[in-house]
Amino acid sequence: MSYTTEIQATARDLLSSDQVSCVIGYEVGPRGRTRPAFIYTADDADRLVWNQNCTHNLTTYLHQKLRPNGYTSAPAETERVAIVVKACDSRAINVLVAESQINREQVHVIGVACDGVFEGAGLGRSDGATLQHRCTECGERTPVTYDTLIGEPQAVDTLDSEHDLAHLEAMTPAERAEFWLSQFDRCIRCYACRQACPMCSCPTCLYERDDSQWIGMGNGLNEKRTFHLGRAYHLAGRCIGCDECERVCPVDIPIGLLNRKLAGEVEAAFGYRAGLEPIPSPLTTILSGKEG
Amino acid sequence: MQLISHSGLATWLDHLAQETTLIAPRNVDGVLLYRPVQSSGDIVWDFVRPVLSVKEAFFPATERVLTIEKTGQQIRLNETVPDGERVIFGVRSCDARGFLAMDALFANTEPVDVYYTTRRENTALIGLSCNEMGETCFCTSTGGAPDDPTGMDLMLTEVDDGYAIQVITEKGAALLPEITLQELAGEIPQPVLNDPVPFPPMEAWPPQFNDAYWADMAERCLSCRICAYVCPTCRCFDVRDEPLPAENGSQHFERIRCWDSCAGEVYRQIAGGHNPRAAKGDRMRNRFFCKFYYYPEQYGPVACTGCGRCVDACPVNIDITEVMHAVQRLAEVEP
Ligand code: SF4
Ligand code: SF4
Ligand code: SF4
Ligand code: SF4
Repeated sequence: MSYTTEIQATARDLLSSDQVSCVIGYEVGPRGRTRPAFIYTADDADRLVWNQNCTHNLTTYLHQKLRPNGYTSAPAETERVAIVVKACDSRAINVLVAESQINREQVHVIGVACDGVFEGAGLGRSDGATLQHRCTECGERTPVTYDTLIGEPQAVDTLDSEHDLAHLEAMTPAERAEFWLSQFDRCIRCYACRQACPMCSCPTCLYERDDSQWIGMGNGLNEKRTFHLGRAYHLAGRCIGCDECERVCPVDIPIGLLNRKLAGEVEAAFGYRAGLEPIPSPLTTILSGKEG
Repeated sequence: MQLISHSGLATWLDHLAQETTLIAPRNVDGVLLYRPVQSSGDIVWDFVRPVLSVKEAFFPATERVLTIEKTGQQIRLNETVPDGERVIFGVRSCDARGFLAMDALFANTEPVDVYYTTRRENTALIGLSCNEMGETCFCTSTGGAPDDPTGMDLMLTEVDDGYAIQVITEKGAALLPEITLQELAGEIPQPVLNDPVPFPPMEAWPPQFNDAYWADMAERCLSCRICAYVCPTCRCFDVRDEPLPAENGSQHFERIRCWDSCAGEVYRQIAGGHNPRAAKGDRMRNRFFCKFYYYPEQYGPVACTGCGRCVDACPVNIDITEVMHAVQRLAEVEP
């Protein structure tokens, strides 16, 4: 059975037995682009697909599904949804559970042992061959948590995960600052990076420009730098490395580099990688004597 | 019509870059944007369209509109009107057509927007026809064409030995190089066109207002603002006064305006926190009704030029051409 058929069968079964109200998965639109799909009836399950353009991290939709009245309300306790996840996405489930954003019982996780997704996927720019950066680093192509597994667990060889950070680390601080400011300069503050991120779950973002109590509304370099560095810190030890933020950015700011750097720092200091288990990041729970 | 050779064009553009601010499609770390160029060598020639439309040169993401100085009881307001002449080269027809929509609000409706209109007056547009339409382009369905000179001052179209130059306005004529140009022999080649997309007439829209379609199609929307920010006609903005550093005893502020978008969650939020468009379906419905119904009704022009930017940039494939098909279909079922 192909992954697509297996996912469709699982969805049909979950929906017809009323185990879930919705299956969040992928479909292919009329233009041939793969995109998120919300399936509510067993009859609609045959819209679901699996292919190597299934790049989106669908866990970002769990907030709206399980907290229909907004982030500040308690989760809707009767709602139960199913969601298709890759190995990277599955780590987001663990972080969301650890941070009490969702109840694990309310999510039926359909995990896919995936072969990696392509560069340019979902945007009509996929060449059907080049794997995304995160996939070349991903050695454990099996989800860390699932209720149904599609495909066989597999482990693959990875590239050196530090290779693209090395050239940044070799720079002097001044060169690095110049590099990042020239990247941030292109930012248009559309907030697609934040909106796509499953970990960006604050009811009101500190950097929301419509509510700019902390940084100005303008699109100056100062505001952009503050937003990017602030966001990176807020994700340190929480970012699970799905690289959705970088994929969705319309002006290709290499946000993933910042995230990977900080994830590396957290791992070196605490031996912790976000999402491997449903425990919160030590950065959010451990305070040094001085800070305490 | 006249012909300019490839080398003649390069020399002319180099000259313009010396004389004035020349803005053209340029590769910025792998991203194609309209940016100032120092010479013709900086210009990218083979492209569908830059990621952001030329709108940003007239209606920037942020601009200061005035400064406010308060010393004691005295308050001084200084308007900060942009100055400086510019030439923009490599403008696509879909972008220039965007000015039909932008002008309708900023230039042709009182109060006239001095910031926008000053930039319009100080800027000349040199268009570059598309030889073929990009995968997501549908300008021919919204009244335009890949070689439509509407809104340009000069229009260039690639031919065998260089570029054919169409002079559209006096402003354009004044820019022409001071060399004798050859007369063009033969016809300008016709661009290769995509199949058209249905264009639902205005009356097709209101009956679909309460259709379940909007909530369904919008469910995957991330409520980012990419679609509006890349669009040559989206023109919503927000205004705020923000503090500037000041001398002892005085206070200094600037009034800025910044792009805003109806796709954002808080766009429509009002005092007390109520949000009449809290649901994503309502926000996406507004986006498309604005393009094809509200805006034409209030200001005349359709607020979509078929450039396809939003189709290419939306991270979750919300596709305006799909919406046009859907509204047409709904209208046919229930005329
Ligand atoms: S910061 Fe980016 S890579 Fe990390 S979890 Fe969020 S979207 Fe994914
Ligand atoms: S997606 Fe890109 S352009 Fe938009 S706010 Fe994020 S970094 Fe800036
Ligand atoms: S709505 Fe989309 S296709 Fe139409 S002009 Fe704007 S960006 Fe282009
Ligand atoms: S339609 Fe697409 S680009 Fe526009 S706000 Fe929604 S997700 Fe963002």
